[in-house]
Amino acid sequence: MALVLRFFQLFESLGVLVMLLLLFAVMSFANPVFLKYNNLTNVIITASIIAVTGMGMTLAVAMGGLDLSVGSNQALTACVAASLLNHTNIPFTFAGTLLLGMAVGIVNGLIISRLHVPAFVATLGMMSILRGAALLYTDGQSVLIMGHRDFAQLNSGKVLGVPMPFIIALLTLVVFYILLRHTPFGRHICAIGGNESAAHATGLKIGLIKVLVFGLTGMSAALSGIMLSAQLLYVDGTLGAGLELQAITVTVLGGTSLSGGSGNLPGTLIASLLVAAISSALNILKIAPFYQYLALGSLLILALALDTLRRMVVQKVVSGGAL
Amino acid sequence: MNSVVTSTPDTPRSNYRQALRLMRYGLTQYTIQWLLLLVVIILSVTNSNFRQEANLLSVLRQASFAGIGAAGMTVLIISGAFDLSVAGMLGLCGVVLGKLLPDYGILTAVSLTLLLGCLLGVVNGLVVTKVRVPAFIATLGMMYIYLAIGFIITNGQVVPVLNREFRRLGSGNFWGLPTPFILMVATYVVLLGILNFTTYGRFIRAVGSNETASRVGGIPVDRVRVFAFVLVGLCTGLAAVVLTAYLSSAQPNMATGYELRVIAAAVVGGTSLKGGQGTLFGTFAGALMFTVISNALNLFNVGAYWQYVAVGMIIIIALAIDALRHRFFVAGS
Repeated sequence: MALVLRFFQLFESLGVLVMLLLLFAVMSFANPVFLKYNNLTNVIITASIIAVTGMGMTLAVAMGGLDLSVGSNQALTACVAASLLNHTNIPFTFAGTLLLGMAVGIVNGLIISRLHVPAFVATLGMMSILRGAALLYTDGQSVLIMGHRDFAQLNSGKVLGVPMPFIIALLTLVVFYILLRHTPFGRHICAIGGNESAAHATGLKIGLIKVLVFGLTGMSAALSGIMLSAQLLYVDGTLGAGLELQAITVTVLGGTSLSGGSGNLPGTLIASLLVAAISSALNILKIAPFYQYLALGSLLILALALDTLRRMVVQKVVSGGAL
Repeated sequence: MNSVVTSTPDTPRSNYRQALRLMRYGLTQYTIQWLLLLVVIILSVTNSNFRQEANLLSVLRQASFAGIGAAGMTVLIISGAFDLSVAGMLGLCGVVLGKLLPDYGILTAVSLTLLLGCLLGVVNGLVVTKVRVPAFIATLGMMYIYLAIGFIITNGQVVPVLNREFRRLGSGNFWGLPTPFILMVATYVVLLGILNFTTYGRFIRAVGSNETASRVGGIPVDRVRVFAFVLVGLCTGLAAVVLTAYLSSAQPNMATGYELRVIAAAVVGGTSLKGGQGTLFGTFAGALMFTVISNALNLFNVGAYWQYVAVGMIIIIALAIDALRHRFFVAGS
């Protein structure tokens, strides 16, 4: 019994990693092109952009919330970043774009905590509004980023052979991890996710914490917007459709329960690598792109079924029943 | 001073109060319906194009595509779950319908499509109740899967629909009203009957209000949930029939974003995402509201991009009003 529990504990922290390694093992036999340096770099870059948004989402989910507006937020911030870059310099672009993303997140937080609109619907509405804003801002046109070699370095640059986007993702991971695990703020996030009325009763400033968390989620979406514009160098208002679903998928796959109360940030990063690797593997094997949906959907259901099984086992152990 | 007011029913003061309470009830219980009426009246007075018969009929037709799906979704949300897979489901049903039509004739093809919708609903229901995955994320996964199956069946091609008789289901009229609208009204009447006059219908509300109590009380909670998912599947199948007929073609991603439109119509109509609360009448008005607003924006030559902003605003404002209303009632009682 304890052994089963131990297995699930191990699986929760390492399950996605095992799946990732398994994929690499299979692919190294099926088609060695997958393991080529160029392909791996591409996988890592794609994964990093998903991961940065996913980690912001993980914070919101740990608090028992959810942010559906990240995809549109990414589109808006990518467009704003591109035009800011064409008119000003890089530091100003970074500051302006991140602030915009944070402001959007703060508005989300205010709608949720002040107007008492459920997070799902509030961010659903914002998703539509931001999509409109992105299209209005660009007037439906594409924005081309020209003459900024060092900005493109954000995507193609390497430090000790590690692609720059991955470094950004790792930095985000470190900051968010410390925030969630080693500060009172992080403990408050988990407390709200675990039991909001209990957290309220202990005197936590729920409204403020919610606004800050959604601000961080918005900011991470903006960071991924900057990364995306550095990757594409050619952005428009239709980018990032479906990103919110991807971000939720990697959060859940990474071992963060949608019921809130805890967040597994390293898991989110590894799950992003898994999702990006799967779609790259399917591309290399020349499998039609729509099978990727099938893979993603089945993976999601599988991960959740295992999560449910684990919770049932834990509950049995806690209640002292025999297996 | 006696602070407890014992209201005797005969005094004019209490009559006045009762009238006031009735008015407050009418205003707060039917917020979206009043808002819809107000918007329609204002638009009819200010815009001569809006009140044209052809335009009004077109609004009704446009409203019915999301409206039909929203009916099923409302019942499911009342039962305390929701289904994000309807877009994939609609695409899959539409594609299958398009493939069946040339060989099997209208009646068989449509019946099989509705049956397929029910079947997909059963699958969703079983994944949610038996695998015990939260509905939100389970149906998200199922959406990917349905979308993929649709693409695999069609190999990424658009399925054309050439049958003229069948196309009338989407673009034709019946008794002077658009056929989709008639089907939509029929859907709401049937679901209203199920929700209010059958045992399972009443179980749905009970399960949504308090699952544990329902379980203890002997209600077959899982079976009720699956039943609600089947209703969503059935409505989505019908929406697929109407939309395929209207577009004269089908493809797996023909309904991208449908789940959000459908849920938005239900939520704006006053259905609480927590379950247990909601009316089909509200959803009906909610679905019309979105179409009326987008029609008005078109008539006033507001660009398509502003419509995204408007739709988002409607969702947030309607829900903020709803939340305010709840607090008002809790504070008042």
